[in-house]
Amino acid sequence: MHRFKLPPQILRLILVAMAIVGSYLVARSFLVPPSFGEYGWYRGDALKLIAARDPVFAGKQACDECHSDILHKLAKDAHKTLSCEGCHGVSREHCDNPDILPVKATGSHCIRCHEANLARPAWLKQIVVKDHYGPKCTECHLPHQPTQSP
Amino acid sequence: MNHTINRRSSLLRMGAAMAGLLTVSFARAAKAAVQTVFVSTTAPKGYDPTKHKWLMCIDASKCIGCGLCAEACKKENGVPEGPYYRTWIERYIIPKPKPGSDLTRGEAIVDSPNGGMHGFPEPTLPKDKIEHAFFVPKLCNLCENPPCIQVCPVGATFTAPDGAVLIDPNYCIGCAFCIQACPYGARFLNPATKTAEKCTLCYHRISRGLKPACVEVCPAEARIFGDLKNLAADDPLQKFYEKNRVQVLKPHLGTEPRVLYAGLDKEVR
Repeated sequence: MHRFKLPPQILRLILVAMAIVGSYLVARSFLVPPSFGEYGWYRGDALKLIAARDPVFAGKQACDECHSDILHKLAKDAHKTLSCEGCHGVSREHCDNPDILPVKATGSHCIRCHEANLARPAWLKQIVVKDHYGPKCTECHLPHQPTQSP
Repeated sequence: MNHTINRRSSLLRMGAAMAGLLTVSFARAAKAAVQTVFVSTTAPKGYDPTKHKWLMCIDASKCIGCGLCAEACKKENGVPEGPYYRTWIERYIIPKPKPGSDLTRGEAIVDSPNGGMHGFPEPTLPKDKIEHAFFVPKLCNLCENPPCIQVCPVGATFTAPDGAVLIDPNYCIGCAFCIQACPYGARFLNPATKTAEKCTLCYHRISRGLKPACVEVCPAEARIFGDLKNLAADDPLQKFYEKNRVQVLKPHLGTEPRVLYAGLDKEVR
């Protein structure tokens, strides 16, 4: 009876192919990051890495915790859409430690929005600074209640 | 030495190979478990990107060009000094047509000194020659078909399930293909890290329940930001696209941006 015997060169080819596939699988298992494919064709941990940064701006809600009286006044007047940190600067440190005071808002913050510019929309109140009275805005205008005078 | 391979020894060898492969996968699973349990990052816990879909809308007719958004973005995200912006403001000046020409208007003049961070100087054109002028805030357009993602050779940039187009800083090789591919100029190469950077919608803020820094400081409510999957009853986002006729930038490119604009003129690109 003739018994089938695999030719040695075919056997060697099979072994080499298995070695290549095996080393690919081993290398792949080491090289592919654990979170790959969590949400898609990328590293899911990258989202956590990007989200790990600490926020710099505290946000209006954080201001409301201590200064709700000022925010209450602000909400009733034309400046209700303004953020505290737009004029007073970043206040994250001030939130954690109230002794660290944020930057004092000055007249330059008023001019930033209210200086006349052709491209500004017409609904915004604008002044030509050199033709407008005064060295100090707060002499005539209350920044938190801009429609009222002191 | 005996070199004969019998059934017993070959079975033992195959078993050893299987055990080796299993050890590798076990080691990887253990590493992942250790990473999630013991390696503490400041990343907010409990944020599930599949439960949100962020959308940014811009009402250009409300923008007053104060530059607070561009400045806040730099501070919030540590964007390097110099001409690098994740968001910026452009001023469009539409001149009157030359007398005698049959055009309705002249060619638009666009400028953005310092990204608009420190305001805009008086236009060089005399006032009586200007038809009108307006500001347009710009940022990543959160494309549905982002060309920047197609060209990345290492797969470092991707769209997160919540709609933000992000870059994995550990995988970016800084080849700048994406910077060339973006039709909106929303990306730049960070000179310090030598990796591409872009607006992340302040991912570290929105995953903590805060608004992006530019939306937070905008005094005119020109930027409207919200979550399409968790719309409140009187959501400003819903109000915005119910009230306005919206459009996107460069619609002919088929990028399907998700940043919607209202109050644009035909010159805006």
